[in-house]
Amino acid sequence: MFPYLELVKKEVYRFLSIWLQTLLGPLSTALLYQLIFGHHLAEMQTGIDGVTYNTFLIPGLVIMQVLLNSFGNGSSSIIQSKYTGNIIYILMAPITPFVVYVAYLTASIIRGVLVGVVIYCGIVWFGDNIIPKAPWVLLFFLIIGASITAGLGLIAGIISEKFEQLAGFQSFIMVPLIYLAGIFFNPNNFTNAWQKIVMINPFMYIVDGFRYGCIGYSSYNLTFGVIFVLCSAIIVNIIGYSLIQSGIKLKH
Amino acid sequence: MYALEINHVNKYYDTFKALHDIDFTIGQGEFVGLLGVNGAGKTSLISSIAGINRFNGSIKVMGYDVIANLVKAKSLLGVVPQELAFDPFLTVHQTLKFQSGLYGVRDNKDWIDEIIERLHLKDKINANVRALSGGMKRRLMVAQALVHKPPLIILDEPTTGVDVEIRQSLWGFIGELHQKGHTILLTTHYLEEVERLCNKIIMMDKGHIIAKDTKSVFMNKCSNLSSSLDVLIQEDKCPDELLSLIIAKKDTTYTFKLNDSSDIANILTVLNKSNIKFDNINIKKPSLEDAFISLLNRG
Repeated sequence: MFPYLELVKKEVYRFLSIWLQTLLGPLSTALLYQLIFGHHLAEMQTGIDGVTYNTFLIPGLVIMQVLLNSFGNGSSSIIQSKYTGNIIYILMAPITPFVVYVAYLTASIIRGVLVGVVIYCGIVWFGDNIIPKAPWVLLFFLIIGASITAGLGLIAGIISEKFEQLAGFQSFIMVPLIYLAGIFFNPNNFTNAWQKIVMINPFMYIVDGFRYGCIGYSSYNLTFGVIFVLCSAIIVNIIGYSLIQSGIKLKH
Repeated sequence: MYALEINHVNKYYDTFKALHDIDFTIGQGEFVGLLGVNGAGKTSLISSIAGINRFNGSIKVMGYDVIANLVKAKSLLGVVPQELAFDPFLTVHQTLKFQSGLYGVRDNKDWIDEIIERLHLKDKINANVRALSGGMKRRLMVAQALVHKPPLIILDEPTTGVDVEIRQSLWGFIGELHQKGHTILLTTHYLEEVERLCNKIIMMDKGHIIAKDTKSVFMNKCSNLSSSLDVLIQEDKCPDELLSLIIAKKDTTYTFKLNDSSDIANILTVLNKSNIKFDNINIKKPSLEDAFISLLNRG
């Protein structure tokens, strides 16, 4: 347990030591999105009675940065360690691959959650106050959602041999999944073909569930969302752990 | 129980076979030199012991298999890797504290302070690792390997880039650990370090073990190597009778081959008889380096 806590502590220290980039950067991005979309598209229909576009948008912006930063933490930490060579100290340490994986996962989730808290506080600071309607639902989708992207980040960091490959993973997998997750619009407004595509996007259920936790309205069946997201988290993290355990792209 | 037990270890990088059926043991308390030219397989072997490489065969550290008893085996092992590796986010002190934590050692302040002192890193204790020179980074890596006081310490070229004075101090520290019972496996390109420190030598070439003996047996195996005599001759001329014995000449210093000890008197007598003035006489015994080169050439 002690080595696990030390590894988590070190990873948290790593992202806190560059807080301008890891905490304030996402806040700035989220506030800009809110300024541009939230205020200038204020009249846009959300598809949910009584919910304004700004209220609809804010939970999406928070969870978007949570997901992106959970991904970014694991992926950047692993690939930097591979580049500087200090990954060998983790590989040589008397800790099991399971502990290594869970420690990196935990630190990534912590970063995602911290970013979410900072953005929420920032948005409240600027005058929009959303009191969570279903805090347990919110927490479930926040943490399990972050665990999916944290796992994806670890997978990307492990299998990428160059920063370019990691950027590709982000551009061609993460960004489309995030932008087609119903952050800026209600996926119900999509045409049939696109709607079928977004229905298999686990991020869509994370955003929808998180939004339910915040404002008490969801566009899809919440129970189905819980099951879908939980299954996705289990699958992603089994794959991630298997990679660490096998040593692929880490050991020679 | 051996400190290190290597049984039939083979290592492939794709189709290239880097280690061929490596098999040896190191007893507790030994100080062993692992020698070989670049590409001989030393680092591949060390990486396999450390758990960085996958391999076929079996490796045991203090009786614990590095695969089956991963946690226990690794906790008994400290490795200084060959490549410079550091966490750019941490200071010297944070690096050692984190390393202690990884090995499950709490409240390690006294030992960390002692290592920092002995490895001449005290001035840099709060400096970011990025700001250290190459030699300092190397010393920090040595400190990291020692932070949990492992019974088996593996040093893969630990003194590369470290200046002479601190190198001596480092060997003094490692020597003390050896006296306290730690087992040391050392690879280095400074063969005089191995000659001075180690009591056993393992030599590798192209992924094979080509020699494994105590230092004296190793040197005796190379008994065909002869001693030599360096003589600084003032007028740069050498009697004809000695020409066949010359094996090297630098400026006016002649190096003569000594087939036995009586040759020393014979050479000096010939020089006297020829009225050739000389000084700076130096008898050179075959060194580990000579033995190393001789064995490699035989292979």
